[in-house]
Amino acid sequence: MSTVMNRATDHLNKQIDNRENRAAKLAGARGSAANTKLLLQNISKVYGDGDTSVKVLDQISLEVKAGEFVAIVGPSGAGKSTFLSIAGALLSPTSGQIWIGDQEISQLPEKKLNQIRLDKIGFVFQSANLIPYLSVIDQLILIGELAGKSRKESHAKAVQLLRELGLGHRLKHYPDSLSGGERQRVSIARAWMNDPEIILADEPTASLDSERGRAVVEMLADEVKQRGKAAVMVTHDHRMLDLCDRIVYIEDGKLSEREM
Amino acid sequence: MFLAIREMKHAKTRYLLISLIMVLIAFLVLFVTGLAQGLSYANASSIQNMKADYLILQQDADHRLNRSMITEDTWKQIQQASSDQQGVELNPLSVKMTSISRVDDTKKIDATFFGIDPEGSLAPVIKEGRLMAAGADHEAVADKTFADKGLKLGDMIEDQASGQQYELVGFTEGQSYSHTPVILMSFKGLEATEAGRPATVGSAAYNAVALSGSKTIADQITNKVQGIEIVNKDTALKGIPGYQEEQGSLLMMIVFLFIIAAFVLAVFFYVITIQKMNQFGVLKAIGAKNSYLARSLVLQVLTLSLVCLAISILLTYGVAMVLPDSMPFQLNTSVVAGCAVLFIVVSLLGSLLSLFRVVKVDAIEAIGRAM
Repeated sequence: MSTVMNRATDHLNKQIDNRENRAAKLAGARGSAANTKLLLQNISKVYGDGDTSVKVLDQISLEVKAGEFVAIVGPSGAGKSTFLSIAGALLSPTSGQIWIGDQEISQLPEKKLNQIRLDKIGFVFQSANLIPYLSVIDQLILIGELAGKSRKESHAKAVQLLRELGLGHRLKHYPDSLSGGERQRVSIARAWMNDPEIILADEPTASLDSERGRAVVEMLADEVKQRGKAAVMVTHDHRMLDLCDRIVYIEDGKLSEREM
Repeated sequence: MFLAIREMKHAKTRYLLISLIMVLIAFLVLFVTGLAQGLSYANASSIQNMKADYLILQQDADHRLNRSMITEDTWKQIQQASSDQQGVELNPLSVKMTSISRVDDTKKIDATFFGIDPEGSLAPVIKEGRLMAAGADHEAVADKTFADKGLKLGDMIEDQASGQQYELVGFTEGQSYSHTPVILMSFKGLEATEAGRPATVGSAAYNAVALSGSKTIADQITNKVQGIEIVNKDTALKGIPGYQEEQGSLLMMIVFLFIIAAFVLAVFFYVITIQKMNQFGVLKAIGAKNSYLARSLVLQVLTLSLVCLAISILLTYGVAMVLPDSMPFQLNTSVVAGCAVLFIVVSLLGSLLSLFRVVKVDAIEAIGRAM
């Protein structure tokens, strides 16, 4: 319990630091490309065509910098999932540009997008979505396998990540013998496995009670700060918002940023 | 591969069950194939083992040895037609289906008499005793199955139709025709069974002529001699009464088993694949390529069918060893290899449907959806 408390205080401190940083950045070098992990410019997504077309995203722009943890909040059907799919290189936008790290991806073919997801994006899905027949350690090694890294290298990295996330004693367990919180932690560890530019989390707390959910989101926030990467979390859960650096509201396909 | 092996290890029961079904099907395929081959051999080993490439038969005889008639005239024409060629060997053959009994016994046994030239290349390989003498008209060599029926060397046998008696001077093996064992004798010996019948003008001297030689020689003879037809040994086999029907029904069973195997595998992997759609979505979202997932699936199918095949081949040979000798069962390595290759091809075909589904899964399935 005390470690959680410590982490929480740590985290608060960091958060304050971070806001100061951000203020400094805003004042100074706004838009310095090297620091931008995710950049969306005038993204629109239209489903269908002609009279029946539905505009799910309307000219949205968002910039997420290194060390930032951004929450996307909005009612059902506002376009959160579509937004996340486009930012996660799962879906191509109808118009607009997306940069992940220093690469423009909006015009890439599907095969290249696959590679982008493998190299630059870490996903944390709703209810963990672990592969049921892989042990905890293998869930992570799989990412190395897909990227064609050596088994030994992947193994060492996986063990290190899992220890950091407090799962050192669960390496050989299968997902069905883990608690919901542990599963989500494995999912976070898996997302870090490929050393991504950005982590995209799709309602990571949806299947957890608020205490565990909070612990998971804290862990995610911590890791983002420590590694100097970025994270975007789509969530319904307003109790988690104080852990994020920025909150972006999405409604009727438009983004609006509000002060916390 | 990483995913394929781990999944199979994790879901042992499911893969064990499907393996069991596949082992049984593969076993049945091999067993029925062995039976078909064994029956074919028991039916017509005299034609299969004949040292000839083609058989010259009378035209319109339906490729049936016992219907075909080659007259002395035609036989001379055939000899002339190929006289300018090297490496040709012609051996006339007479066939007569009958039944026999031992002279001091009334029990009848079905048999087929083959009239041959004991000095030609149709002469059988002797396993016991000796070959009949060239001029002897009352000596015969019988297939070894007669020994199982109680006949011994030196026994006298009687042709039921004509009452002619022959002395058994030797035993050979692998000589059967239309499921009856063959008794070989000289032409003179066979002619004796016709004694007393009115001789018709231009009566048949032989039923067929065995030809060893190339296709060109066979074509040359066909062109030069009227009223004959040259068929290869396979066609001649089909002309044996009952041969085609017997092999056809067994072949149908084998074909159906292959189709069943394909469908069982297809359905199994299809159901498993559909169960895993969400997982495939997640795997694709985290960067797994279609080719990686497809390889994984194909590897599972291959592993499964190879293991099942290995087990069923062992099982088939094991069962073949305990089968009684009288059971017509024959399985050679090339046939087993052929079946195995076909089985694997069929398994892979069965997995195509699942492969299609895997490729179709959209990575976006992973977003906004609970497990």
